[in-house]
Amino acid sequence: MDLVLQLLFTGIGIGAVYALVALGFVLIFRATNVVNFAQGEFSMVAAYLMVVFSVDLGWPYWLSFLIALGGMALLGVIFNLGVYYPLRHRTFLPVIIATIGASILLSNSVLAIYGPQPQVLQGWFDTPGIQLGPVYLDSQYLLIIAVTIALVFFNYWFFEKTLLGKKLQATSQDKEMASLLGISVSTMIMITFIYSAVLGGLAGLLVAPVLFVSIQMGSTIALKAFAATIIGGFGDVAGAIIGGLALGVIETFGAAYISVPYKDGFAFLVLVAFLIFRPQGIFGERVAEKA
Amino acid sequence: MPLLEIRNLVVRYGEIEALRGITIAVEAGQVVTLLGANGAGKSTTLRAISGLAKPTSGEILFDGQSIAGLGPEAIVRLGISHVPEGRRVFPGLTVKENIMLGASNRKASSAQISREADAMFDLFPDIRAFADALGWTLSGGQLQMVAVARGLMAKPRLLLLDEPSLGLAPVIVQAVFRIISQIRKDTTVLLVEQNARMGLSVADHGFVLETGRIVLGGKPDELWGNEAIAAAYLGGHAKASA
Repeated sequence: MDLVLQLLFTGIGIGAVYALVALGFVLIFRATNVVNFAQGEFSMVAAYLMVVFSVDLGWPYWLSFLIALGGMALLGVIFNLGVYYPLRHRTFLPVIIATIGASILLSNSVLAIYGPQPQVLQGWFDTPGIQLGPVYLDSQYLLIIAVTIALVFFNYWFFEKTLLGKKLQATSQDKEMASLLGISVSTMIMITFIYSAVLGGLAGLLVAPVLFVSIQMGSTIALKAFAATIIGGFGDVAGAIIGGLALGVIETFGAAYISVPYKDGFAFLVLVAFLIFRPQGIFGERVAEKA
Repeated sequence: MPLLEIRNLVVRYGEIEALRGITIAVEAGQVVTLLGANGAGKSTTLRAISGLAKPTSGEILFDGQSIAGLGPEAIVRLGISHVPEGRRVFPGLTVKENIMLGASNRKASSAQISREADAMFDLFPDIRAFADALGWTLSGGQLQMVAVARGLMAKPRLLLLDEPSLGLAPVIVQAVFRIISQIRKDTTVLLVEQNARMGLSVADHGFVLETGRIVLGGKPDELWGNEAIAAAYLGGHAKASA
């Protein structure tokens, strides 16, 4: 039982990272009808920005964290203007290919600067963790879970309680009608890209001390997050979060009880099972409401 | 000077010439109805005015200012509100949220917009009970009320209404037209209708479109008086679609 609780804690911690990246996927998908294959690279770039400011330059951790997030907001703007905006009147295919291209560009740019060896990043806290009864709570995982909970509430408040959130929803549901009402569609999409880049970046910053900071970290996280969105029900915000958490828990238990080397495999096994037996995902029915 | 003046407007979609040089004028305070069969170019005319369709040539003047080629976001800010065909109520937002978003063309606080949306239910009492219902749960008549209410939230000087009676039961059509006769007290309306009888019943002036051309224009009783037109567009057709 103690082990189960311990695994549950770790699983939710890693699942929260997938949930944040998955949320970025879903928000961009809803706003533009395109899957952003560079979403994982946002996490990777943010982690390297953190290495630049916190490790290489030795700036305070919190300041480096804020600068990295600011950098991600800027990357969201550049990404929108450089990758999405020129192709916005085309079909989804050129846009998807452009995001794949951007993903390759980002990872290889970082590779050219930092080389292939992984970097190490300290966690936010000096204390490694606390013992709570039988369960050891790692401080970085606690931070990840706390930030994710806070973001879920922020996301709910932002999209459900503010007029700007409603304008973003309206834009994702019917762009032409939104423009007829005077909603600036390009501004709404810009906001979506900024928010998604910051979300992806935040996931990278939070998970970096747990993993290594490497070129591949983006694609690994993105694949899991993508699987999470399908498990949750593609295009559904709650589904992305539940799917991400579920995936984190499943792969942690799979690694502990079945096989460690196949840890990454469990996520995709679950994905395949969902695609066969419940392709619409957990919250699948609600996707129809968006159309 | 008319509030809206269209001169020799041509709109092409690729090879297809949807409008072949139409000229119409809408005076402030009037209700003007555009009649015509499916594909005659009625919706294209409204789409060109609101900026959804790019004019190939010709002029569109609103209050004397050329608006041809401006985007829809800019045009609605000038005071032209377009309630498009098919209502286009946001399915995942509530009725009140839909109505509130109608004020996106002007600067106002959310509290102010919320109060104005509540006041809108006085004009549309039938949808007041559905204020918190999601768009996709409504019936066709309710959707039309929401769409018109949302269009009015822009405080337009000119309201473009595209086929408000389409697909509605006769009793609902009458309710919609009662609202149009209310609206006309404050707002100029350009109405597109297939239902000629209802369309002309509220109009000061009517135009008949046929394959992208204006073939007839005049006061409603003059249009009724034209026998060939009455037979082709008003008599038989009105019966069929009413």
